[in-house]
Amino acid sequence: MTPFFGLLSVIEKLKGSTEQEVRIVLLGLDNAGKTTLLKSLASEDVNTITPTQGFNIKSVASHGMKLNVWDIGGQRKIRPFWKKYLENTDLLIYVIDSADKKRFEETGLELSELIDEENLKGVPLLIFANKQDLATASPASEIAEGLNLHTYRDREWQIQACSAVSGEGVQDGMNWICNNIVNKKK
Amino acid sequence: MGCFFSKKSKRKSPEKEERAPTTTTVETTTTSNAVPLGNNAEEAPKQYSWDRREKVDPKDYMLTGLKDVTVGRLPGKLNGQQFVIQECENCNIYVFDHSATITIDDCVNCRIVLGPVKGSVFFRDCKDIKCVVACQQFRTRDCKKMEVFLCCATQPIIESSTGMKFGCFQYYYPDLAFHFKDAGLSIFNNNWSNIHDFTPVSGENNWGLLPEDSAVLDFVPVPDPESEFKSVRVLGDPERSIVPLTKGGRRKDSEESCLFVFFAGEYTTANARKLIDEATAKGFVLIQTKEVSMRPEDVKRVFQNNADDLTEWITKGPVIALELNGDGVVEACKNITSEVFSGTKVFVSENKNTSSRDVDNFFNFADMQMGL
Repeated sequence: MTPFFGLLSVIEKLKGSTEQEVRIVLLGLDNAGKTTLLKSLASEDVNTITPTQGFNIKSVASHGMKLNVWDIGGQRKIRPFWKKYLENTDLLIYVIDSADKKRFEETGLELSELIDEENLKGVPLLIFANKQDLATASPASEIAEGLNLHTYRDREWQIQACSAVSGEGVQDGMNWICNNIVNKKK
Repeated sequence: MGCFFSKKSKRKSPEKEERAPTTTTVETTTTSNAVPLGNNAEEAPKQYSWDRREKVDPKDYMLTGLKDVTVGRLPGKLNGQQFVIQECENCNIYVFDHSATITIDDCVNCRIVLGPVKGSVFFRDCKDIKCVVACQQFRTRDCKKMEVFLCCATQPIIESSTGMKFGCFQYYYPDLAFHFKDAGLSIFNNNWSNIHDFTPVSGENNWGLLPEDSAVLDFVPVPDPESEFKSVRVLGDPERSIVPLTKGGRRKDSEESCLFVFFAGEYTTANARKLIDEATAKGFVLIQTKEVSMRPEDVKRVFQNNADDLTEWITKGPVIALELNGDGVVEACKNITSEVFSGTKVFVSENKNTSSRDVDNFFNFADMQMGL
């Protein structure tokens, strides 16, 4: 993935708008592939990634604008901390391991609780149905149904199938972000 | 479809009517194309490689609900795919192939061998497990009493788990070295002894290390000679292990360590193994190893006074570094270099006064490089 894509494409699109700093938060259960996605967006090597203990952040600056992407650890024990990172979020990316059927209910529950957060009111939501490369992966359409996404009426949303390790589908998700990001300075 | 994930009745905000899972299935029952993937996308859904490839039956990649049996996969039968193990009891499970990722759920009293996994190995709700695992990430949640002979490229993590014991990966079967390569794992990158616990308990330890002389085959026996795995020749001897045995975080016997670095070349791995054999035969101990790429700017910081002529060597590929320990190890390493590696480009600590600093400089650099 060349540097023009990924994070840089988002900032290129926002160039000329009045906003200075854009905040994207990356959430999802542990082992969903959030950090792999983040590194893929930053055109970094994805072969040796360690489970996130706190958070990772990538910043891209261009044309007087700054884009910050926060990748927060998803273990059950540290999910209560998610809400501490949500203030001034302009877009939420929620990552799902499409091949971990055992935890579909758990991830659905976490997402539905996030959607209720005051700080995420009206914030656009991109769901990456990740790990599509795996043998037992459910297609994005099945995941969309299971999550009842069609009932989300208070925000723009999109579900995007991808494989973060290969990068396939990731840029399509970023293109949607470019077209839907809304700066939410409160 | 009927696979609604979230149990809405458990949710805390029942007044949000629009989330009730009742009505709106009209437009979603026909084909997958009818399910909206967004609420503002106009374009037709794209086709990806997973849409075009031949469909596989997920059941071929799962072991579910087995009891009292010997089961698994022979070399070549998984070939890098995902594998799922669930609800097994009193089984001997042998996955003698490389895979993408493996999850193990609700298993009790099993003995498990997992060949090299390119991604993560995740144990959930398991109890009384003895296993041999090689992977990029090792994770557990809600597990109890596990004994793990581990090769893990990153820091292993546990959550809400107790009675977890870890030892260094110790295993051989004929295709294992190839499977490590296929999975993109280096036998020299093994963080088996420093575990991160997400739920530590004050005054207790949820994890510890196995006794140093633990023999892997006492924990995970060789496959039943009557089983389909009789053709796989398994060895548990430490000297035959594909992953060199390292002392890791265990207490060192001697104050004296030596840093030995091999630079990239055709025989780097074989050379590193030869050094380990020579040094351990003389009674020295291998503490840790790393295979990592270096950039020119890292050379000065890591090798300090010896940096100058090494810069060109690090550009040829990753280096393999080893820390050996024991009284007299530095002298011994210098002798081995002249006797065995006279034609090879290596770095060896100069003397025992500066060798600890060499070790720290290198391995601190390597940990940062690998994001650990």
